[in-house]
Amino acid sequence: MTTTRILAFLLFALPAWAAHAASVEIKAQGSDGKPLAHTVVFLESRDAKAAAKPLSDVEIAQAERRFVQRVTVVTVGSELRFPNRDKVRHHVYSFSPAKTFELKLYAGTPANPVLFDKPGIAVLGCNIHDSMVAWVVVVETPYFGQADAQGALRLDNVPPGAYRLRSWHAGLPPGAAALDEALVVAADGASAVVKLPLAGSAL
Amino acid sequence: MRATLTRWWPRRLSSRIVALFLGLLLLVQLAGFAVVHASIDANARALLAQDLAVGERIWARLLAQRAGRLTLGASVLAADYGFRDAAASGDLDTLRSALDNHGARIGATVTAMLAGDLSLRAVGEGTDPGAVDALRPLAAKLAEQGSALALVDGQPFQVVMVPMKAPVLVGYVVMGFPLDAALVDDMHAVSGLQVAVLVEGAEGAADGARLVLSTLPAALGSELRAARAAADQLQLAGQTHLLRQIDQAGSPSGMHLRTVLLRSLADAVAPYRELQATLGVLTIAGLLMASAASIVTARRITTPLRSLVRASERLSRGQYDQPLLHTGRGNDDEIGELARSFDHMRLSIAKQQDEIRQLAYWDPLTGLPNRAQFGDAVREALELAADTGRPVSVVMLDLDRFKHVNDVLGYAFGDRLLQGVARRLATQDLQPNEMVARLSGDEFALLLPGRDATAALRLAECLADAFLLPLTLDDHTVDVTAAFGVACWPHHAGDAETLISRAEVAMYSAKRKTAAALVYDASLDAGSALTLSLLSELRRALEHDELRLFLQPKIALVGPQAGRMVGAEALVRWMHPVRGMVPPMHFIPFAEQTGFVRQLTMWMLEATAKQWPELEALGLQRVSVNLSTRDLMDAELPLKLQRLLQRYPMPPKALCLEITESAIMDEPQRAEATLTQLSAAGFKLSIDDFGTGYSSLAYLKRLPVDELKIDRSFVMAMEKDEDDAKIVRSTIDLAHNLGLSVVAEGVESAAAMARLAGLNCDEAQGYHMSRPIPAAEMVSFALSWAARQQPDDDAPQENAAIAFSA
Repeated sequence: MTTTRILAFLLFALPAWAAHAASVEIKAQGSDGKPLAHTVVFLESRDAKAAAKPLSDVEIAQAERRFVQRVTVVTVGSELRFPNRDKVRHHVYSFSPAKTFELKLYAGTPANPVLFDKPGIAVLGCNIHDSMVAWVVVVETPYFGQADAQGALRLDNVPPGAYRLRSWHAGLPPGAAALDEALVVAADGASAVVKLPLAGSAL
Repeated sequence: MRATLTRWWPRRLSSRIVALFLGLLLLVQLAGFAVVHASIDANARALLAQDLAVGERIWARLLAQRAGRLTLGASVLAADYGFRDAAASGDLDTLRSALDNHGARIGATVTAMLAGDLSLRAVGEGTDPGAVDALRPLAAKLAEQGSALALVDGQPFQVVMVPMKAPVLVGYVVMGFPLDAALVDDMHAVSGLQVAVLVEGAEGAADGARLVLSTLPAALGSELRAARAAADQLQLAGQTHLLRQIDQAGSPSGMHLRTVLLRSLADAVAPYRELQATLGVLTIAGLLMASAASIVTARRITTPLRSLVRASERLSRGQYDQPLLHTGRGNDDEIGELARSFDHMRLSIAKQQDEIRQLAYWDPLTGLPNRAQFGDAVREALELAADTGRPVSVVMLDLDRFKHVNDVLGYAFGDRLLQGVARRLATQDLQPNEMVARLSGDEFALLLPGRDATAALRLAECLADAFLLPLTLDDHTVDVTAAFGVACWPHHAGDAETLISRAEVAMYSAKRKTAAALVYDASLDAGSALTLSLLSELRRALEHDELRLFLQPKIALVGPQAGRMVGAEALVRWMHPVRGMVPPMHFIPFAEQTGFVRQLTMWMLEATAKQWPELEALGLQRVSVNLSTRDLMDAELPLKLQRLLQRYPMPPKALCLEITESAIMDEPQRAEATLTQLSAAGFKLSIDDFGTGYSSLAYLKRLPVDELKIDRSFVMAMEKDEDDAKIVRSTIDLAHNLGLSVVAEGVESAAAMARLAGLNCDEAQGYHMSRPIPAAEMVSFALSWAARQQPDDDAPQENAAIAFSA
């Protein structure tokens, strides 16, 4: 009874606390318990979706025939530029459902940025250079980040509340969706350990 | 078995050598051939098996290469931007059509796309979805290996699966390529093996197998289909093929893909067969060469052998003149040695033959032809003469008293004497076709073809004249005389033997008649028709009692009986019923010659023995009977005499046996033996005609004789020739000294009788006393002689002697 009451309280009292921000600390680990660097983590909720705003001036450059950043996380509606800093031309494309586009052979920065208007994961490649690969994770939340080399990540200013803790890593099988688990962020924040189904040491 | 072998084994040496050579060679070649054949087969099988193993690897490599190529093609396709674009479009129809379109570019007839988790995303437009279902179980394997063989709708496919990246793995493209004839042709070209790809039914049974691809002629397909999966050998089109079967893939429906690599053993063996054919040609060439060589070798052996056989045949025919072949310097081998020793044998046989012939046809002592050659020569001459019709004469001569020359001067001297005679005969002026020969002992003969009897006789007389010259040998001068007998063909004889024997008859006649030479006349010949009839007459005379015993009295000259008849010599006379009294000269020599004389002698002895009592009554002490040579040679004579005297009352000492000197000298030893027996039996023995022969006193001394009879020739000549008188006297003295009594015969006058009495001769016999008279007349003679002794008158006896000699 008491528990139900507490739960109900929590459910109805949470939005009141939203004015207060909290920090969420996440540790990303592989299936072997090792820290998993570059793990993308984001928190989804209805409020978060509403709070999300497109990012500007995000770019994925091509330098030395590599995409710089390999993994980029943007919010829905962000427009990304793909400046080519190599002397060779690149043909950047994506067949991913999240965003399908194609920047035919170009040098320099194409005039129009590419709008990522759907959430999801877009895999980018270069039609000229098969080894070039980059991922764009499009999220509908302002609370996202990438784990550091220790697999640690801290999200600040997260209003307490109930969230879906999503985590994704480039090493996951192609097309795999981000892991999804529940996370309640208390007023004093929350911490969680996410385990991804891939060996941290394998990366 | 043995008979079979013998029948097959050649008889000729050369064939045997050739057969042996070739047989051995053939055996070796066959053995070699068999070994090569077997090893070729084994080698070919081993090589073929190796080829097939290599073939299997090549096949795997070919498939892998093809898979690689296809994978590459598929990869390129999967990386194609447009294709990726289509695949990413999410429109299934577009994707299917893109799969079909892009698959067609590289010849894939089955196309599909799998998601990253190997789930089927799309099937190419022209691809049967059912076919892809068959591939589903392969997906994991394909993800791992990239390619695989698979059965799709019962057709073999090479399936490749490549990942499609955009740029990370977004799925897999699966493409299936039917195995095509190009592949198996390629395989055939690379490996030289035949390739067949079979699909077996669900049961895996051979009868369900289906030939999908093959480099074999279509006709062979059904035979191949019948091959069991486990078989590694198969008869195809009558040829043995080795197989290697590779299980490639199965399918969920139980169908099974099997690749068969195969190759005909004959193909593998073909190069060896060529080699073997060459070997066969070499074998045949070798056989030909070996047979040629062995034939030559065999000839080298058998040709000389055959010539040796011919040579030995010639030798057996008595032809020794032809030298043997193969005896030359080039024949240093055993054959040559054999030929040389054979030739040596030929020469030595020829030499021996010559020596034998020499011995057979030549007289070694005189170097003249012998009797055999002479006989041949006479026969040849007669054959020749039969054509020409010219006469052929044979002269035969016999030396007088040669036996005594031998006895006195020795056989060595006798031989030289014969050689001297031969020289003398040979130096006569003879024609080339005439011949002198020594027939035996002291008997020689001349063959005179072309001379008639007269001419031959003339020659014989010439020769006899030549013989008058004494021969001087070793300081001895010897008078050689000879008796010649001549016979002439065709007058005297029709053949050689008769001709020679007739010449001999003539010669003996000449000898008896002391003529130098005589021509044959039938009357001389005991064997002639005349003598034959005489012989039968003589027999008849014996049977019909035509013979008469005559006696010639012997008168004692000295001693108490002097002047009285003390003995008589028994003589035979023939009272022929037609011819009257036949004189002894006409039948006694003939009887001696024919041997009939023995019957005559026995008749005489019996007649004498029969007469003896009457003679004894007349005062006779003994009766003398002449023995001929033939009697003396009769070993039975002493026995016969004893038997005879047993039948008659006549003591042996009353019988005096007279033997002529010449009869004894013919065969002194036998004569001596017979005489000794006769003497031992008590018979008296007397030597008749003493002084005419050549017996030595030394010999006479040994004979058991009791009496000597001085030959009438000395007695009759005694009165005129003082020398003869001396001989008579000395003979009497000699006989007396030897203890013999002496009888003189041929006493024809009282003076002679008186003289003999004066010389102390014991008895006398002759016409002065009485001619031989019939036995019956002995009584009257005894009376008349007794009467004559009173008045001393001897005239009538001389008359009687004259009357008788006629």
